[in-house]
Amino acid sequence: METRIPATKNVLTTLLQADFTTLWRNRRSLRLVLLVPIIILISWKGLVDKLGPVMVLSSVITIGLTSIGLMGYSNTMARDRDRGVFQRLRVAPVPTWTIMLSRLSIQIGLIALMVLLVFIVGFAVDKISISALGYITGLLMTIVAGWLYLGLGQLIVGLIKNPDTVNSTTRLVYFAFIMVGMFGQFGALGETMKEVVQWSPYGVVQKALAGSLQPLLWTNDHTMALLATIGYTLVFVGLGIKYFKWDNK
Amino acid sequence: MSNTLEQLPILNVDRISVFYGQFQAVKEVSLEVRPGEIFGLLGPNGAGKTSTLSAIEGLIRPATGQIKVVGFDIVGQPLYAKANMGVQLQATSFQPELTIADILKLYAGVYGVKLTKEDVFNRLQEIKLEDAAEKKYGQLSGGQQQRVSLLIATIHNPALVLLDEPTTGLDPQSRRQLWDRIEAIRAKGHGVLLTTHSMEEAEAVCDRIAIIDHGRIIAIDTPERLIALHREDPEVISVSRKGRITLEDVFIGLTGRAVRS
Repeated sequence: METRIPATKNVLTTLLQADFTTLWRNRRSLRLVLLVPIIILISWKGLVDKLGPVMVLSSVITIGLTSIGLMGYSNTMARDRDRGVFQRLRVAPVPTWTIMLSRLSIQIGLIALMVLLVFIVGFAVDKISISALGYITGLLMTIVAGWLYLGLGQLIVGLIKNPDTVNSTTRLVYFAFIMVGMFGQFGALGETMKEVVQWSPYGVVQKALAGSLQPLLWTNDHTMALLATIGYTLVFVGLGIKYFKWDNK
Repeated sequence: MSNTLEQLPILNVDRISVFYGQFQAVKEVSLEVRPGEIFGLLGPNGAGKTSTLSAIEGLIRPATGQIKVVGFDIVGQPLYAKANMGVQLQATSFQPELTIADILKLYAGVYGVKLTKEDVFNRLQEIKLEDAAEKKYGQLSGGQQQRVSLLIATIHNPALVLLDEPTTGLDPQSRRQLWDRIEAIRAKGHGVLLTTHSMEEAEAVCDRIAIIDHGRIIAIDTPERLIALHREDPEVISVSRKGRITLEDVFIGLTGRAVRS
């Protein structure tokens, strides 16, 4: 008699299929995370000339990343942990990291879809057009910056066990990020707040994205913003992994 | 990847201890499950049943002792050990967006079993749920959910099946049906370890049982021998209600009348 354990590649493919199906059937959540940035993009059509196309795109993408990391990822993780979905998978001959990698890969795919939709709607509705290189580096930067918000979502799920509390906390943090971030970056909350927002997770991601959408105009400020983005990501992901528990007990 | 199975019994738990911080939930527990045996783990709430089972499942690491599933150490060779066990957890544990067919395909995939659409239909037909392939798990009755859970636990034909309170909340018909399925697993020569609060269930299906209390195994034998061994104990006689000694009398006599939280 022989024991065979499934190849990791096959396990990962199976998990990805299930996680994709779960995401696809969870239309309400999918619509929420994809529609929020699109609605803001369309409603800002009249502001493109005033703010500049790069500022509009980078702000809207930052809001989209916040939606995915806080409203989508963290809530699904909290719900599935509470139901025992992870424990059921962990008793199977599956390396634990494949469970998390599958979940994160689906979110990265969603982030890529969100940014492509923003580019398409920005072009079709707001008549925003940037260089081909800008679209490519913008997409790549979005994926890098996406880890920051996935890390923040992971940290919240790590620190809070109850899925209802995770839900209300992420809504609160999301609302604070969007309102303080959007109004703060335009100086509506005063100069001090503008400075604070500039170095907040919202501000550094928005700045790094703005630089990536115009790669030929990349400056030291953009480099600092990118480094700060990576720094925040490392802290959030590190603490998120440290405090995360696979079950609620 | 592969490895050869040589050692018996199917499950060997050797003096394991489990701690939660300073609290010791399991104290040097040892037990064996043999091929073609249904082994029951009984105990009051908080006695250490679930902690023992979680350690066997590889969900928590014992502080001391060793657990081997068909010779594979759950700590040293977790994937090989887990590949040889099927687990039915106590709580509902599937994504609510997935259909029963999706869930079967997912767990077949993670256990390395290839299932065609026809295979899925046939497997569901075996448990009389062929019409439920496109239903969500939450749309099934309690008995149907338990049948699906057991099907998934045995989808890879494991040598050891672990069932955590499998019949809790089921009506008598569903419970009898599940017992038949558990006995069918035994008939194939597989080992079954189940936890239960039902003494009737333990007497009806278990070949041997262990009573665990305060983290220690206080008795281990066949139900018949446990009754015979303890029928003269004053504590057992004092709790007897039916004029004859039952397994429940022995259980309460050994673990006490106090209700556990």
